[in-house]
Amino acid sequence: MSVEVKQEPALDTDQETRILLLCHENPEGINDALIQEHMPQFDVQQRVTAINRLLSTGRIDLLKSSSGKLIYKLKDSSAADPVKGGDQQEKVVYQIIKDAGNKGIWIRDIRFKSNLLLTQVNKILKNLESKKLIKAVKSVAASKKKVYMLYNLEPDRTVTGGAWYSDQDFESEFVEVLNQQCYKFLVQKAELSKRTKEDPIAQRNGSFASSQDVWKFISELGISKVQLSVEDIETILDTLIYDGKCEQTIVAAAGDGGQTKLYRAVNSLINSTGLMRMPCGSCPVIQNCHVGGAVSPTTCVYFKDWLQLQ
Amino acid sequence: MSNCKSSICSHLIKDHFGDLTQTVCDVLLQKCDCHLRQLTSEAKIPLDRVKHVLTVLIQNNLVTFQKNKRGQTEYTLDHDAILWRNRIPHYIFCGKNLYGDAAELLIEDIAHNGQITMSTVVENVTDKLNEALENAGHPKIGASVVYEKFKALANTHFIKQCVNPLETLCPEDIDECAVAKLYTVPPFQPGNRKRKLASDEEAQPVNKKIKTEAGASAADDHIYWTINNNRFHRYFTDQLLIKAIRSKIDERAGQILQTILRLNEVMTEDLALTSNPVSFIEIFQALPKDLQLSKQICEQYLTVMADDSTGFVNKIGDSGGGMYTINMMKAMTTICTAHVESVIQERFGSKSLRIFRVLILKKHLEQKQEISKTADHAPARSFYLFRVNLEQVARMLLEHSMKALMNTIVKREMETRENRRLMEKEERAEAIIANLERSGGDAEQKEEILQSITPAEKTQLKRVKHMINMLDQCELQLDETIFVLETYLQYCETKLKTKR
Repeated sequence: MSVEVKQEPALDTDQETRILLLCHENPEGINDALIQEHMPQFDVQQRVTAINRLLSTGRIDLLKSSSGKLIYKLKDSSAADPVKGGDQQEKVVYQIIKDAGNKGIWIRDIRFKSNLLLTQVNKILKNLESKKLIKAVKSVAASKKKVYMLYNLEPDRTVTGGAWYSDQDFESEFVEVLNQQCYKFLVQKAELSKRTKEDPIAQRNGSFASSQDVWKFISELGISKVQLSVEDIETILDTLIYDGKCEQTIVAAAGDGGQTKLYRAVNSLINSTGLMRMPCGSCPVIQNCHVGGAVSPTTCVYFKDWLQLQ
Repeated sequence: MSNCKSSICSHLIKDHFGDLTQTVCDVLLQKCDCHLRQLTSEAKIPLDRVKHVLTVLIQNNLVTFQKNKRGQTEYTLDHDAILWRNRIPHYIFCGKNLYGDAAELLIEDIAHNGQITMSTVVENVTDKLNEALENAGHPKIGASVVYEKFKALANTHFIKQCVNPLETLCPEDIDECAVAKLYTVPPFQPGNRKRKLASDEEAQPVNKKIKTEAGASAADDHIYWTINNNRFHRYFTDQLLIKAIRSKIDERAGQILQTILRLNEVMTEDLALTSNPVSFIEIFQALPKDLQLSKQICEQYLTVMADDSTGFVNKIGDSGGGMYTINMMKAMTTICTAHVESVIQERFGSKSLRIFRVLILKKHLEQKQEISKTADHAPARSFYLFRVNLEQVARMLLEHSMKALMNTIVKREMETRENRRLMEKEERAEAIIANLERSGGDAEQKEEILQSITPAEKTQLKRVKHMINMLDQCELQLDETIFVLETYLQYCETKLKTKR
């Protein structure tokens, strides 16, 4: 009878360390072929066991490369710690949520990605929340929808709505105030330009203000509690364009290439149209109005009131 | 022909011509082309009265006639011409602005009479002016002054000769020569009302039943003149553009645009989508001298207008210092959009206006037109995209404006009817006072007459006058909106025609 020394366990751990070493050397990740190259003495079965053990202990990550091949990457040891206590499913869910970054992920998507039952996912989420590892944030786009993200992350703008939302409420007065202030600034600039400059082209060019200028003005005014960025101001200036109170041109920027947007206040083409200067223009029952009917010009209350005003 | 428009036509005819004419017109509105027998039987009015009414209407360019297949003469009512009668005050005001008092009276007289010979109208106006001047203590003026104004109006095509409907076969046969002849004015010989040599036999008398002046023979110039509505409408369109530019940029830009439009006045055809190109040198030379614009500043203004977002003026070349055209289609679209936006702002608020403008600017974004993701149009899986169809909106608003116009007319008639007794009383009192003044009555009698109108009645009268004034003004302003919408729709149709 031959006595065989069971070499395998030592070999296994040995293999694991060597795989780990390989991972260290190739921070981008290694694939099966590479492992086989370096450790030709281990067969497929041992390799698979080693890799599985590394995966379950959370030392390496299993990822799919862009070409569809499987690669193994060394896992960040700090990140491995939090879910040490949890089981496999929790880790999976946690990983999914982490991957969603600061946009957060919806519960249905978690279910699809993890292939777990809804009840299970719910339980895991509650668990993770109590451990203060993840948090739920309500999205402004759909108020019933809750997205989950890591506890310490700042929610992205698309979720909270950015500067215009405070706690899921659209701050319309804030937007209105900013709208009026920007418009006043542009009007003042245009008037100044008209007074001081002689020829029309200089007047027009002088009345332009870049979004940077407006942003500086608003920041100095200090009417905003939160810090506003230039993009925020640009959205406000866009609302002014939609109101028909200002217009925008894009010119080549000075210095480092790219483009700047310039805005200036404009006057409207007409004051108001003839139709709306009389009651019939804004009458709510005009469809029912005809001579001899219940609603008719001869008995019209609006006409009576309008004609009485001296 | 919408219901509303027909009612307005009916009311206007009654206002201007009386009940009998209204009855005849109602039949024509309902039945379109009618011949004499039909008219008589439908309107239940004796034949000679119908003939009389038709005469008046034809004289005023409101009814045209033609032979139908069976050889009978059929009469057609021109709806637009009736609505244009509402604009006569506007025409008169234009004439006054452009050429002064004489022109104002000329246009008023021509509009009043429908069609009239040149010498008659010149003499009428001269008499009227001299009367007013005498009362004011100024020296009289000769008929030649008025004749000059008449020529000026004809040269800029505001008035035109009447074309004999019996002679013209169809509009395409009128060649350019004939068109030019429409605006040539024969020489004027004052005091020769009765024996006037027909210097050129351009056109025959327009209809057989014309009322001739007592004593004037039919050999009196056979050339009748009438108002050229289209030309006035072109002028109004130009005014719209100038007003818009004036409020967008400034006064001087408005003047420059006016110069360009004036240069194009008689050159461009009606409803052309873009005007003919004008060179910078021509513009600069045609500018009024009192503006004192240097060449450089003028050029800069043109550049500013060409770069402006409204896109009225386009620069298309550099010859002659720069060739500029006016894009009429774009201009009318912008102005029409401005009016529509005003309606939305007044009716629905600024927020709605913002949404509307976003839809116009982005054309097809946002949600409403149904685009289905799946084969069945399940609501949960379909996108909806919103958009604005300006032409449809314009038509709808036009209907709305017509209805408002009709309401105004009806209301005004009602107010007049209800207070007729009071107004007649006031008229009688004023007539008596005028009589007394002429026959040298004393102050006491005048006082007595004035006392007959009690203070309560006085306030009532004041109120009624105020209401009627407001309603009149309202009609004029409504007409402005109607004009903008109609012109825009006309341009849209022209654009469609040129595309085909």
